Amino acid sequence: MQLHPRYFGRNLRDNLVSKLMKDVEGTCSGRHGFVVAVTGIENIGKGLIRDGTGFVTFPVKYQCVVFRPFKGEILEAVVTMVNKMGFFAEAGPVQIFVSNHLIPDDMEFQSGDMPNYTTSDGSVKIQKDSEVRLKIIGTRVDATEIFCIGTIKDDFLGVINDPTTV
Amino acid sequence: MSVVTDSPVHSSGSDDFIDYLNEALDASSPNSSSDEEAENQDEFEDLSRNKRRKLESTEETEGSTSEGIVEQKLVVAESSVVKVDGCTHPGTFGKLCISCGEILDGESGVTFGYIHKGLRLHEEEISRLRNTEMNTFLFSKKLFLVLDLDHTLLNTTILGQLSSEELHLLNETDSLEDVAKGSLFKLEHMHMMTKLRPFVRTFLKEASAMFEMYIYTMGDRPYALEMAKLLDPQGEYFNAKVISRDDGTQKHQKGLDVVLGRDSAVLILDDTEHAWMKHKNNLILMERYHFFASSCRQFGFNCKSLAETKSDENETDGALAKILEVLKQVHCTFFEKLQGDLVDRDVRQVLSSVRGEILSGCVIIFSRINHLALPTLKRIAEQLGATCLTELDPTVTHVVATDAGTEKARWAVKEKKCLVHPRWIEAANYFWEKQPEENFFIKKTTTQS
Repeated sequence: MQLHPRYFGRNLRDNLVSKLMKDVEGTCSGRHGFVVAVTGIENIGKGLIRDGTGFVTFPVKYQCVVFRPFKGEILEAVVTMVNKMGFFAEAGPVQIFVSNHLIPDDMEFQSGDMPNYTTSDGSVKIQKDSEVRLKIIGTRVDATEIFCIGTIKDDFLGVINDPTTV
Repeated sequence: MSVVTDSPVHSSGSDDFIDYLNEALDASSPNSSSDEEAENQDEFEDLSRNKRRKLESTEETEGSTSEGIVEQKLVVAESSVVKVDGCTHPGTFGKLCISCGEILDGESGVTFGYIHKGLRLHEEEISRLRNTEMNTFLFSKKLFLVLDLDHTLLNTTILGQLSSEELHLLNETDSLEDVAKGSLFKLEHMHMMTKLRPFVRTFLKEASAMFEMYIYTMGDRPYALEMAKLLDPQGEYFNAKVISRDDGTQKHQKGLDVVLGRDSAVLILDDTEHAWMKHKNNLILMERYHFFASSCRQFGFNCKSLAETKSDENETDGALAKILEVLKQVHCTFFEKLQGDLVDRDVRQVLSSVRGEILSGCVIIFSRINHLALPTLKRIAEQLGATCLTELDPTVTHVVATDAGTEKARWAVKEKKCLVHPRWIEAANYFWEKQPEENFFIKKTTTQS
């Protein structure tokens, strides 16, 4: 963690911790996934002054909660957008796309004010803000985001909660 | 290394998942929480990632075929796509195939970033979607309309470029809270001021009943989305259909490849012809809307802008109203008068036939036209249905000239033919109807306006 000299003083440690939280929470790495929250600081090492500038580098060891979706994992997500190609859902910081190839064949796309996928008898509906249970079939981590592809074509997957009936 | 035999990608069951984890990680305890797994895995990470990759590629090859196929060979290379009853990879989201989840690095297909970030569709899928779209829309009697923003539906200027006579506008802007009632908006955060063209709201409302509408602008995406919010505050016309220059596939050119509708059913409304080189037959050229002085100057006009003279285009008689009539006519002809299957009809043919009636019956001769402008003028006249001759002839009905003193011009006056300025042809092109020739007579003196 690099710190500007203006933060030196009695609040050095607090400044360091808050800068750490600001910088690290919400970021994403391939190895660990999304850093959701820092839970504790294990150790702050001695600071090393960088040549030429007044910045000081501190090695900080911390613990945090990370989120990383896996292939094959079953997740619950909230639908954010529905269109003819499928629907997009969010599970925390992760964007999941379920293409219409992976939506059961008895569900059809209905366009209109609130585009949705509905079964032929109208009993099950997937629209914006519905909660669905889906299975991840592929993940990829980018610099700042995790992209996932999901499916609801298997048993026990699909809508959990219909927002219109709640 | 043993291969998991019974686990095609699309089957369910936590048992399979547990087996798969066991194989992949050589870990003794199956964990169900992903958080814990992430933290416990640091040591196994590199080793297990390789194993997982191998397993993933073998699973991909099995694809959605039935269970019980024992995979004999191990496909280790991740990048090879073995199409054994495999996935056709219709598109990618964040470089993952949307059908099987495999990572695809290829650049094929078209990016549809305006629908959702990271979405990319391949050719077959685009055609499939276009065809299903066609059927839905033809069934509900709708065609597609692609609208340009600047100078077509609105005029935008940068706040710093307002002329002194336009400064009074700063006090006359409409509130951004109730967008539907206003037409002049100041966008502080973008340092811009926008004026919507008169009649635009009625135009959008009536056109939306006949067309599925898209916005396609050469502005960047934030600008495009802001304008869409002003034109369509409820999000009912342009939801996920705003295409900006960041979404186009070619620099400085607009194309219909990012529009999910077949070329034979799309009409384009734009003021710039050369942006649509590949789709000139779908284009309806709009007369430019110059409200602000900066816009006039941009195109080389030295006259006072509409804002400076405190006037505006006529609401019910302006360009948008006229074009709406044309759109209604084309729509009606397409659905009612054409014969044959709906899918075989082509809106471009309808457009050119409607265009060809405007000056049909006119026989035109040109005299002393700037020879750089002549080919274009001739082409426009012919598209409008006129016949162009080069020699004087009794059948000639109009002589188009810039100077009343030429031989052909004097012949026209003698024979009582119409002697008009080339703007008569351009006006017919913009207004889609033959204009009264009296408005375009040339004066005998050589000073022209």
